[in-house]
Amino acid sequence: MTTTTVTPVPPTAPVTGVRTGRRPPRKMTSVSRRRVAITLTLVGLILGALFAGAPVIWMLFSSFKSNPEIFAYPPQLLTENSSLAPYLAILNDPRQLRFFVNSYVVSLAVAVLTLLVAVHAAYAFSRYDFPGKSIVNIAVISVQAVPPITLLIPYFGLVVALGLYNTYPGLILTYMVFTLPYAIIMMTGYFNTLPKELDEAARVDGTSSFGALWRILIPIAVPGMVSVGMYTFMIAWNEYLFALTLTRTDDMRTVPIGIQLLMGQHSYDWNQMMAMSVLGSLPVILLFIFFQRYFIGGMTSGSVKS
Amino acid sequence: MATLGVAALAAGCGASGGGASEGGDVTIEFMQWWEPELPDGEFAALIEQFEEENPGIDVELLSGPYASIKDQVIAGSASGTMPDVLGLDGAWVHDFATQGSIADLSAAMSDAGYDDSQLAAQVQVDGSTRMIPVVNFAYPMFVNNELLAEAGVEVPTTRSEFMAAAQAVTDSGSGAAGFIAALGLEKPNGINIDIMPWTWASGGTMLSDEGGPAVNNEDVTSTVDFIKQMWDAGVIAPGGLTMAEQDKVEEFTNERVAMMVSSLAHINLIRENSPDLDFSVVPLPVEDGYTGESGVRYASWGIGMSANSEHPEESWKLIEFLMSEGANGQLSALANGFPGNANVTPDFTESDPLFEDAFTIWEAGYPVSEFTGLPLADELMRVFDEELQQVLAEDKPVDEALGNIQTEWEGIF
Amino acid sequence: MAQSRQHKVTAAAFGYLSPTLVLLAVLMALPIGMVVWYSLQNNVITNANPEFIGFEHYLDIFGDSQFHAAIKNTSVFVLASVVAHLFLGLGFAMLLNTQLLPHWVKTLFRTIFVLPWLLTVAIVAVLWRLILNPSGVFNYLLVSTGVIDSPQEWLADPKLALFAVVLINIWCGYPFFMISMLAGLQGISAELYEAASVDGAGLIRKFFSITLPQLRPIIISMLLLDIIWTSHQFTLIWMTTGGGPLDRTELLSTYTYKLAFSQYMFSAASASAVVVLVISAVLAFAYVRHQRARD
Repeated sequence: MTTTTVTPVPPTAPVTGVRTGRRPPRKMTSVSRRRVAITLTLVGLILGALFAGAPVIWMLFSSFKSNPEIFAYPPQLLTENSSLAPYLAILNDPRQLRFFVNSYVVSLAVAVLTLLVAVHAAYAFSRYDFPGKSIVNIAVISVQAVPPITLLIPYFGLVVALGLYNTYPGLILTYMVFTLPYAIIMMTGYFNTLPKELDEAARVDGTSSFGALWRILIPIAVPGMVSVGMYTFMIAWNEYLFALTLTRTDDMRTVPIGIQLLMGQHSYDWNQMMAMSVLGSLPVILLFIFFQRYFIGGMTSGSVKS
Repeated sequence: MATLGVAALAAGCGASGGGASEGGDVTIEFMQWWEPELPDGEFAALIEQFEEENPGIDVELLSGPYASIKDQVIAGSASGTMPDVLGLDGAWVHDFATQGSIADLSAAMSDAGYDDSQLAAQVQVDGSTRMIPVVNFAYPMFVNNELLAEAGVEVPTTRSEFMAAAQAVTDSGSGAAGFIAALGLEKPNGINIDIMPWTWASGGTMLSDEGGPAVNNEDVTSTVDFIKQMWDAGVIAPGGLTMAEQDKVEEFTNERVAMMVSSLAHINLIRENSPDLDFSVVPLPVEDGYTGESGVRYASWGIGMSANSEHPEESWKLIEFLMSEGANGQLSALANGFPGNANVTPDFTESDPLFEDAFTIWEAGYPVSEFTGLPLADELMRVFDEELQQVLAEDKPVDEALGNIQTEWEGIF
Repeated sequence: MAQSRQHKVTAAAFGYLSPTLVLLAVLMALPIGMVVWYSLQNNVITNANPEFIGFEHYLDIFGDSQFHAAIKNTSVFVLASVVAHLFLGLGFAMLLNTQLLPHWVKTLFRTIFVLPWLLTVAIVAVLWRLILNPSGVFNYLLVSTGVIDSPQEWLADPKLALFAVVLINIWCGYPFFMISMLAGLQGISAELYEAASVDGAGLIRKFFSITLPQLRPIIISMLLLDIIWTSHQFTLIWMTTGGGPLDRTELLSTYTYKLAFSQYMFSAASASAVVVLVISAVLAFAYVRHQRARD
């Protein structure tokens, strides 16, 4: 109704309220309101962090304990026999270290390749109208509808027949099949939120459709791509069922299988399992902290200006 | 051209065999869960010894987690990628044999002119041997002496004594329970470990004379009644309905339970984790008034051969080696089990004195492993476990539950 | 003219789609076809000469009371998990998207909030089994603070088990929802909020008139995906309860697994899988129609 108000207002500039006349300008209240808002937000964040973090903290401390201490009652966070022994046991075992290398190779490859394939498919879904579009769309979404557990046997036979059994490409392609539908759905969603005028303008200027995708859409969609990339990385990083079935030697196995190898017939190496999980998570946390920047920049102001 | 081919082949084998081979021309795969269970490097050393004694044969060890090795074998069998030699559990033998995945070892033995009298046991399906137990693990009763003493009771020898002892421990205020049963359904072998041994110890059976199911007979009924009685009295440790064998032993180690039926393999583990724990291994209590011999439940690391192996002779050689007196004695000592070769006398001089006690129990009774070689043995246990859970948690009448199990089992047999 | 243009457009679209289509056709459509084919035969894998028997397995399964229990449990499990994922994911994302707190505080919390996501499911299962153990830390805290009188068997009590596995699944599943919501929130133009402020809209009105409508496409996509994935959750259930006690946590996935790997009834297991496939495909279809209607 009041189109005149669209003049850019710096976010920090106080909204005077006089303009709409609905709220009297009471400075004190606005400060204390802000304080209440900050307190409430912090309380919410801390409660959430407790829910999310407490079990992980428990895992972290358990990874230093001796096995009987993990089961001691009353439970204690720090125990007298806590030591680095579980970590040393893993770090001194080249076989275990190999699991980490394998996990990184596979997960990174999956994240990069999935994004590469998915942005193109998403571009087609978002910007093109073509016969059979909804059928292809349904097909892409519903392929992931089969419970992986039942797919195991025919899938295993197929991978063996293709010569991909116990190889990196076997695992990578498998995970891509599982991550692609998600990546395509999400990237299509992100592309749909970007106005069509953006790339159409570029097309009018003579850019090819491929160029419009790579030079206009992809740079804007980076936050979406990072979160999709994180997700695909995590799927591959944590996947267990197929990693177990499609590999047979230690030089191809990933961390989740390494952890399961610590679950013996008669007993588990509880502390080493925890330690392995901590060791596996640390680099991923760093990766996450690093990539967070991309969420933050965001698409906030840029998209409408051009 | 020919030289080139040979060179490439040798290089290929060298790479896969881990370097130590001298121009070996046959590589056989051996899939098992034993290597991770044994002290680091020991199993590989044993296999290396085999490779030295048998130039021309390389063994590639494929070690998997115990919990998933069966699924892997099934998947491998479905797609023709079975390993040549594989570790077997008695519960799988019948299934793999009827699916045609594992070879007839009787034939392999006669082909090789092997004298099978030295084998302590062979597991047969339809009259032919499919699995040979390599190492056997007896399952006696473990008791925490301190908890029993605190409760003022002796080591029980009959069920009613056991019930009284369990009650006394639970009531003693130590916070410990009398007995523990791991009845989780992920792996329903709690039936085989914690429940049925009570029947077998009193000379009972769950099978008919013809080998069919007879699970609703008096022997089993009295066992389930007994378990139910303990459950209702609250002397069984909480959490049992989703517990696994590995959790059970931690409860015992942490002195939260006074008595459990468990594998000898746990002796060293408990010692290692809780050096001061004062515990013994004793025979499983019997039904009041029973004076006959006791059946001692055992489990095995079995070995078998793929039916489609391209190198059956070399595969048999590996099995023969693992069953030979030297290697078998060594392996059973490492695994803390009893040897599968009947001529090996276990040497307890260097092991925990409890092993000698266990061996005495083992010798005094007769070995039982009724689930071994039965069709769908895991499923049989699962059916039993599901009904038992209803008996315990929902007061389903024991007769009705066992009747249901019997009907389902008859369908499977 | 127009027709050849349309041909060009179609060709370009399929050009962009071709890597996806090839991959999915070979590695997904083919095995799915095999599963469907298995489900119509009398017994595959273990039987050398399976026979075609049509829909017999489907009838058997529909008559199986365990299957009914599995359907019921799966519905509860999926519904509770997905709703909780949505609320927690959206709630945490909005807290993290606040302008009120300094950058480093947000980074810290954001990192804490994704922690559950970094653990492989085998560890999640083992960790929670330890925590929820009758003598575990969860019971200890609840008893010592007087919330409950005596330790509970969270996973082994038939009345609590489904609740417990839902709790675990909520814990390990929400971060993925949260990340997507966060990216979505940051895609909302700040000017929209500013304009609303100028109009005097409060926080709640801004949420319902800006945030929710703007996030709607992402929320709907995420809901669909989460429903499908949660209904496939297998390893977590299997490694915590094995479907027990008393079938109380038996889901379609554990039911199917038992058919296949405990009873070797691969055909029946395939039939059960196809049922899940059909349900999921219906969801996918509804989703695509919804999207088209929106365009």
